[in-house]
Amino acid sequence: MKLAYFSPMPPEKTGVADYSALLVPALRERLDVTVVRRGSKRSPRGTDAALYHVGNNPDAHAWIVDALRRRPGVVVLHDFVVHHLVAGMTIGRRDGHGYLDTMEREHGVVGRLLAHGVLDKRIPPLWESRPEEFPLAWFVLEHAAGLIVHSHAVHELVRRAGYERPVWVVPHPAWPVPEVEPRRVASGPVVGCFGVVNASKRVPELLRAFAEIRAGHPEAVLLLVGPTSPGFDLERRLQRLGLDDEGLVREGWVDEGRLWELMAGVDISVNLRHPTMGETSGVAIRSLSLGKPLVVSDVGWFSELPGDAALKVPVDAYEVETLTAALELLVAREDVRAQMGTAAAGVARRQHDLGRVAELYVAALEEAVGGALVGDAVLREVSQAAVDVGISPEDAEAGEIARRLAEVELGR
Amino acid sequence: MRILVARPQIPFAWGGTEVMTDRLVDELRVRGHDAELVTVPFKWYPGTRVLTQAFLWRMLDLEEVDGTPVDMVVATKFPSYLVRHPEKRVWLVHQFRQAYELDGTDLGQFGDSSEDRALRRKVHALDRVALGEATRLFAISQNVADRLERTTELRAEFLPPPPQELEYRCEGYGDFVLSVNRLDRAKRIDLLLEAAALDSSLEIVIAGDGPDRRRLEELARARGLDGRARFAGRVSDAELADLYGRCLAVYYAPKDEDYGMVPFEAFLSEKPVLTTTDAGGPLEIVFDHRTGLVVAPDAAELAHAAGWLREHREEAATFGRAGKAIADEVTWERAIERLLA
Repeated sequence: MKLAYFSPMPPEKTGVADYSALLVPALRERLDVTVVRRGSKRSPRGTDAALYHVGNNPDAHAWIVDALRRRPGVVVLHDFVVHHLVAGMTIGRRDGHGYLDTMEREHGVVGRLLAHGVLDKRIPPLWESRPEEFPLAWFVLEHAAGLIVHSHAVHELVRRAGYERPVWVVPHPAWPVPEVEPRRVASGPVVGCFGVVNASKRVPELLRAFAEIRAGHPEAVLLLVGPTSPGFDLERRLQRLGLDDEGLVREGWVDEGRLWELMAGVDISVNLRHPTMGETSGVAIRSLSLGKPLVVSDVGWFSELPGDAALKVPVDAYEVETLTAALELLVAREDVRAQMGTAAAGVARRQHDLGRVAELYVAALEEAVGGALVGDAVLREVSQAAVDVGISPEDAEAGEIARRLAEVELGR
Repeated sequence: MRILVARPQIPFAWGGTEVMTDRLVDELRVRGHDAELVTVPFKWYPGTRVLTQAFLWRMLDLEEVDGTPVDMVVATKFPSYLVRHPEKRVWLVHQFRQAYELDGTDLGQFGDSSEDRALRRKVHALDRVALGEATRLFAISQNVADRLERTTELRAEFLPPPPQELEYRCEGYGDFVLSVNRLDRAKRIDLLLEAAALDSSLEIVIAGDGPDRRRLEELARARGLDGRARFAGRVSDAELADLYGRCLAVYYAPKDEDYGMVPFEAFLSEKPVLTTTDAGGPLEIVFDHRTGLVVAPDAAELAHAAGWLREHREEAATFGRAGKAIADEVTWERAIERLLA
C-alpha cells in the first residue's frame, strides 16, 4: 500500500512530530510511506490512502486539516479537544464567521453567543478557559473516513459525539530506552514529575501531598522538571509549604537526553492531569518503558493503565489525601516500587511495542481502504441468498440477519 | 449435560479434527452426557466466500433444540466458533491460518489487492469477536495458544487432545521411517523424499492421502525411489497400528504445525519422532535426543538423522519409551474434566 503521511515532523518541536519520527520508520518496513511536505495540501500521486495526524496546536496541524478537507482519509486524533486548532483556523485567519458557525453547529445558539463574546473580547478565549466544555471535535471528525485514537476513553468520546465511521484504538508506541546513565538527584526516594508546571498537571495538589510526605520521610525528594506556565506562581507555593529550602529539586526545560537521564534516576513517576483533552502522555509512556511505578490521575487514557503498574488518583474532594496515601505507599515500600516497576515495563513491552503499534496501523489502514468493498460484497451475497428464499428487507428475518452481521462486524 | 460439539465439514476430507471431535462426542457419551456433533460445510474461496460461509454458523440457534435447552457448545476450529451460545467453550484446533501465519507464503490465500488485504483483516475481526465470546478458551497446543495471543491478544489454556484409539504396540525397530499425514504441501512430505534420495539405504512408508499425492509420487519417481518409498494411501486402523509397531521411527515435520496427533501415536508405539526445528507444535513434546531427533529442515540433515537412528536402535528405543511416558499422561478423563469445569 502506498500511503501519504501528513504530520508535523522534526525539527518541529511537538509531541506529534516526535511520535511520527518514531512511527514512520516502523511503518516503512510494512508500507510504502511518503511523508508529505509541510504546507502541501495534496497527496502525492498514486497513493492508496492518506493518513492525517491532527492535534490541538494550529501552528502544527492547520495545514494538515486543510489537506484533509480536500481529500478525506484516516485521521489520527491526538487530542479530542481541538478548540485551539479551530480558533487558529478561523479567528487566526480572520474568519470570525467560521468560528461563530462552528460554535453554533456544535453547541447551538449558546455556542454562537459565547463565540460572539470571545470575538468581542467580552469573555476570555474559550480555548484557554473552558476548552473541555467545547471540544469542537466535529470540525475534524466530519472529514475523517476513519479514526485512529490512542485510548478507549477517546473512542467512547467520539462515539458519544455521534461519529459512526470506523474507529481503531492504537496505543501510543514506546520509545526504545536510550543508553543513559541514570541521574539521581538525591540518595533518598525521589519522586519525579516531568512536563509543564501548571495547575492542569495538578502541581498544587502534588506539592501539598508531597509536603505531607516530607513530614514523615525527610529523606524523600521531589524532582520537578519542565518550564513553569506563565501565571503559575510556583515559588510562592513552595515557600508556603516549606519546600523552598529543601526537599525539592527544580529543573526547567531539558533536552531529550537529559530528560531520559533524570527520568531514569527517579524512584516514582507522577503524571497527574485534569482536565484532560483526551491526550496520551509521552512522559508516562517513557516512564513505563523505564520500569518506573506511576502515579496518575484517574481520568481519560490514564484510567486505562493497568492497576499493577499505576496508582490512580480520582480527581475529587479527596484528591490530595488519596495522592498522599499513594505516595506514602511508594516512598515507604521499596518492594512495592519494584513490583510495580516490573509491571510497568511489561505494559510498555506488551501494549506499546513499536512493531505491534505499526501492525495495528497497517491493519487499520487496510480495513479503511478495502473494508467497504468487502462489506458490500458480503452484504450482496447474504442479501441475495435471503431474497432467493423469499426474505424481503422488511421481514423480521432480515432484521435478524442484519443484527447477526453487525455482531461479528460484517455489517456496514 | 446436553452438549453440542461444533466442527466445520470439508466434504470428502478427513483429518485430525474429525478424529478428535468424533472421539470427543464418544467420550462425553461414555461419561453420561447427551452429546452430539454439529457440522456445517465450509468453503473458503473465492473472495468473500470465507466470510459468508463462516457467517452461516452465526445464524444457527443452538440454545435449545426441539424445546430442550442445550447446556453447552464446544466449538473447535474456524469458523465453527462463530456459533452463538451463552455457554460457548472453544477448544481451538486452529484459526483460519491463511489469514495469519500462512499469509504471504505459498500456502496463503489473500493477494495484495486492497480488497484481499481488508478481507484478511475481517477474518481477524471475526476471530476477535467470536473467540472473545467464549466462556472458556482452550487450545490444542501451546503453539496454537501463542499464535492466538499474538494475533488477537486472547489467551487460551493449553489442553492437548488424546490421540486416536489404536492397538498401539511396539514390535521392534525395523528399517523404515514412517510418515503418517494428510498429503498436502504444508505437511512437507517432500523433505522426507529428498532425504531418501540422498541416502540410498533409507526406506520410507508414507501413509495417508491428499491433494499433493500425485506431485509426491512424481517426485519419488524422479528421484529414483521406486521400491524404497511406498505410498500406502489411507490405511485402516489395524494397518496403521501395524506400521507404527514395526517402523524404526516416525517422521513428522509440517512447518509451524498446530499440534499433531502423530507424535503422540508414535510415542504410544514407543517410537522416536524425527522432526525439524521449525515444526512448531510437535516441538512441545519432541525433544532432541530425549524423545526423538530434531534437525534443521534440510534433506541432508534429515537423512543423517534417520541413518543415526538405524545405527543406534537402542537409543531409538530409549527415546520411544521416554515419549510413551509423556503420551500416557494425555487422557480423555483429564481433558474432559477441564473442558467442562
